[in-house]
Amino acid sequence: MLNLLNTYINSPLDQFEIRVFLGFVSPFYDLSCLSFTTFSLYTLIVLSVILGLNLLTNNNGKIVGSRWLVSQEAIYDTILNMVKGQISGKSWGYYFPLIYTFFIFIFTANLISMIPYSFALTSHLVFIVSLSTIIWLGATITGFYRHGLVFFSLFVPTGTPLPLVPLLVLIELLSYIARAISLGLRLMANILAGHLLMIILAGLTLNLMSINIFTLVFGFVPLAGILAILCLEFAIAMIQSYVWAILTCSYLKDSLYLH
Amino acid sequence: MQLVLAAKYIGAGISTIGLLGAGIGIAIVFAALINGVSRNPSLKDTLFPFAILGFALSEATGLFCLMISFLLLYGS
Repeated sequence: MLNLLNTYINSPLDQFEIRVFLGFVSPFYDLSCLSFTTFSLYTLIVLSVILGLNLLTNNNGKIVGSRWLVSQEAIYDTILNMVKGQISGKSWGYYFPLIYTFFIFIFTANLISMIPYSFALTSHLVFIVSLSTIIWLGATITGFYRHGLVFFSLFVPTGTPLPLVPLLVLIELLSYIARAISLGLRLMANILAGHLLMIILAGLTLNLMSINIFTLVFGFVPLAGILAILCLEFAIAMIQSYVWAILTCSYLKDSLYLH
Repeated sequence: MQLVLAAKYIGAGISTIGLLGAGIGIAIVFAALINGVSRNPSLKDTLFPFAILGFALSEATGLFCLMISFLLLYGS
């Protein structure tokens, strides 16, 4: 959203605008995609939060960690049990670091976006949908590598009568291809809609409360409503990261074990 | 051009009707959770993660519809 004229109306979408802090200028080929933007800054902030929560809390490497480490161990344990429960079998351990990385990155990025005047990393369509497409592509390639052409037996549900099979295979194929974008679009739509809703409501309440003293006192009622929506957004931020992790496990299980 | 802009705004309003499905879907998921826990209260810790997963998936389809609305409102 390039705003060249300094217009009076600020759009509620300005919170998602990406600004360039240190531009990357190159002579022959346009490499301005490597410049340091708000996106890079916030990924560095997410990295420092994750590293800080893991490295500063481990009580100098003793076996019994500090009380802050209990939270990290709880998250590790939850994801471990979830992955072991979903991708049960011989090879769940290969995929646990990947699922944990996805979970902790999206969890931290979502919670950092709840700070006022912050930036929502996971609300960018290109980033999240390309990530989910790559995960889907990786799962498909894993399936073909393991099973060869027998991978296509994934699209035939067990126990269907033979005349119905072509129609069902087409529907299952479409549903399988839709997984690539739906995984990313789910996270992105939730975070974008939540943040947009909060900013629009907060702007309207600010307009209401700045009229006179009576609306200032009355304005605490819609403010309580915004507080309820804020709590919902915190819950959604955490739940959506868990849903991403569990759906990635489910897609990997389909590719590895074919029903 | 003004007609296209007006039509975009009308379309953005009409496309939010899809969130009706999201609301009903979430209510069905949690009604099933309440039903299941009331029949067998010891299954609360087993059923609750499924309920959260169902809530998130059901809300996602509603928000796909809201995304169309945002595209119409704010897309260039």
